Amino acid sequence: MFFPTLLDFLFRGLEMSAPIAFCALGAVFCEKSGVVNIALEGFLSVTAFTVVWGSIAFQSVWMGLAFAVASGVLMSLMHAVATVTFRVNQIVSGVALNTLAVGVGRFLSQKVFEQETQSAANSYMFPTVLHINSFTFVLIPVVAACWFVLYKTVFGLRLRTVGENPEAADTLGISVNSLRYVGVIMSGVMCGLAAMVLYPSKWVNGMTGGRGYIALAALIFGRWHPVYAVLAALLFGYADTFRIMFESKIPIPSQFVQMLPYVLAIVVLVAVRGKSRAPAADGIPYEKGE
Amino acid sequence: MRKTKSKYRVLETLSPILGVLASVLVLLVIAMIIGEMPGKTLNAIYKFTLASASRLSTIFSVAIPLFLAGLAVAVAFQANVFNIGVEGQYFVGGLVGAMAGIYLRLPVYLHLPVVVLASMAGGALWAAIPALLKVRMGIHEVITTIMFNNIAAALVNFLVNGPLSGRGEKSLEPQTLKIQSTALFGKLNHWFNAIGLKVPKHVYLDYSLIVAIVMGFLVWFLLYRLRQGFEIRAVGTSLEVSQYAGIRVKRVQMTAFLASGSLAGLIGLQEIFAIRGVYTFEIAAGLGFDGIAIALIGGNSPVGVIFSSVLFAFFKQAGYGLQLYTAVPNAIIYVISGLMILFIVVINEVTTRYIRALRRKEAA
Repeated sequence: MFFPTLLDFLFRGLEMSAPIAFCALGAVFCEKSGVVNIALEGFLSVTAFTVVWGSIAFQSVWMGLAFAVASGVLMSLMHAVATVTFRVNQIVSGVALNTLAVGVGRFLSQKVFEQETQSAANSYMFPTVLHINSFTFVLIPVVAACWFVLYKTVFGLRLRTVGENPEAADTLGISVNSLRYVGVIMSGVMCGLAAMVLYPSKWVNGMTGGRGYIALAALIFGRWHPVYAVLAALLFGYADTFRIMFESKIPIPSQFVQMLPYVLAIVVLVAVRGKSRAPAADGIPYEKGE
Repeated sequence: MRKTKSKYRVLETLSPILGVLASVLVLLVIAMIIGEMPGKTLNAIYKFTLASASRLSTIFSVAIPLFLAGLAVAVAFQANVFNIGVEGQYFVGGLVGAMAGIYLRLPVYLHLPVVVLASMAGGALWAAIPALLKVRMGIHEVITTIMFNNIAAALVNFLVNGPLSGRGEKSLEPQTLKIQSTALFGKLNHWFNAIGLKVPKHVYLDYSLIVAIVMGFLVWFLLYRLRQGFEIRAVGTSLEVSQYAGIRVKRVQMTAFLASGSLAGLIGLQEIFAIRGVYTFEIAAGLGFDGIAIALIGGNSPVGVIFSSVLFAFFKQAGYGLQLYTAVPNAIIYVISGLMILFIVVINEVTTRYIRALRRKEAA
């Protein structure tokens, strides 16, 4: 009895962690390039809708993937235009996009499925492997690729330079703006991938449940490093899985169990205070010297 | 010289107006894509917002909690603090206020101010932990306040279902005991009727309006007439300069954060003390996030927030009109408010640059 439960916990935990992990990877690219992105939650709530929409409309999970990634990119482009081209406050832009995103899902759902708070059921999904969504395992090569791109390629070096010292990058002839665009757009792409695991069988209003924000906590806990950020995301994902699987078996009120991931996020942030350092130019708009 | 200065002024005030107009334009375009002609869209909005005294006064009623929400966020923003936690702070503040309304036995003239102060204390209390985490440990408030929103929701849910539940009250949703009559907020409609403004009986222009006006004035006074307010604005303008000027930045930010939280505690007053008379977990959610949009659109000033909260209330009502009379879903209002913030900040950025360029030319 114990052993199957443990295996179930391990795999379901992985599935629960993957959306947070993908979002956190997106945040790594975005913030390494120097752009703070608190709109991940908004991106995810849009992609969570478009994946269902695309899959049902074209009866293909691949179209769902295409829709999710495209809509994530579209959302991130808005953030990039506002923060990189127009240099507006990055948190303000993030707040605006989160507000907008709440409307996008509900608006489209009303138009496409004639219900504002949920979509029709979607049966076009990636197959399940070991009782979980097989797309979960895509996370592993993606993490490896992210690490490789960021730390072993010229592009990655440039992206990090732009986030640490944009003036120096500029002097070396690196285009700060175009690299920041790439960084921000990567966060949109990753939120698209996150939606593939989140709950692709149906869209329900508010289903993202703060995962985009938890991903930011994972980013900080993971010291802005792709591998550590994903490990941090696993911590949150497993905490949530624990909550879901054992909520009814623990003799304390369920509401306290529900607080677990959020309290954990605070505890983690307190634990790593001062030890986890953001890229030096993170959050600061770059203005070319005149 | 004087003339050019006023020209800058015009440009600065023009940017929010342009932002609003641009987003209305987007609304009309989206409606057209869905197949509604602009005339019909505008008419639907008109019918639900301005067509009758009832509709018109409802906008102001809806604007009261929105104003308080915008004010709460704005005070924090002024000190460069991003209080995304207004949402949780008003859930907790409202509950503490309701407790004072249920369990304290006081005469009316004491009970009313006490519930207001209790709500403020509750809001401030919930803001205090993220505020301390920020100034003592340097943990960014954006993430902590968001986490505290979720924790507040669970905590309030637990309290209303458990220790504070009004067992025996007939209700489908979990709620507290009834608030005593001495703490309930009456309506001011007859005052308005007396001066010739028609406010129908069913519209809630209640004591929370007085609270909103008083708070608006107090915040204005704090920001523009007191040294503490000057320091808050200095910190908001430039952290480094304030530090060099000897301002204790952390203390100022702490003050602004707590002021923001206590204002947030007041957002629920209208719904809890005037409309429902009990506290439930079902009080309108999302006002804290609306407050962020309102503060930004209103340029974080108390006067600006008056306009932006009425504007926001107008759009909220307009959304219902669209839902009812056209094929445009109500949810479009969120899309439009998000775009409105983006447009305003982008236009603002562009005009600031333009003004800077003009000044440089003048100097040369």
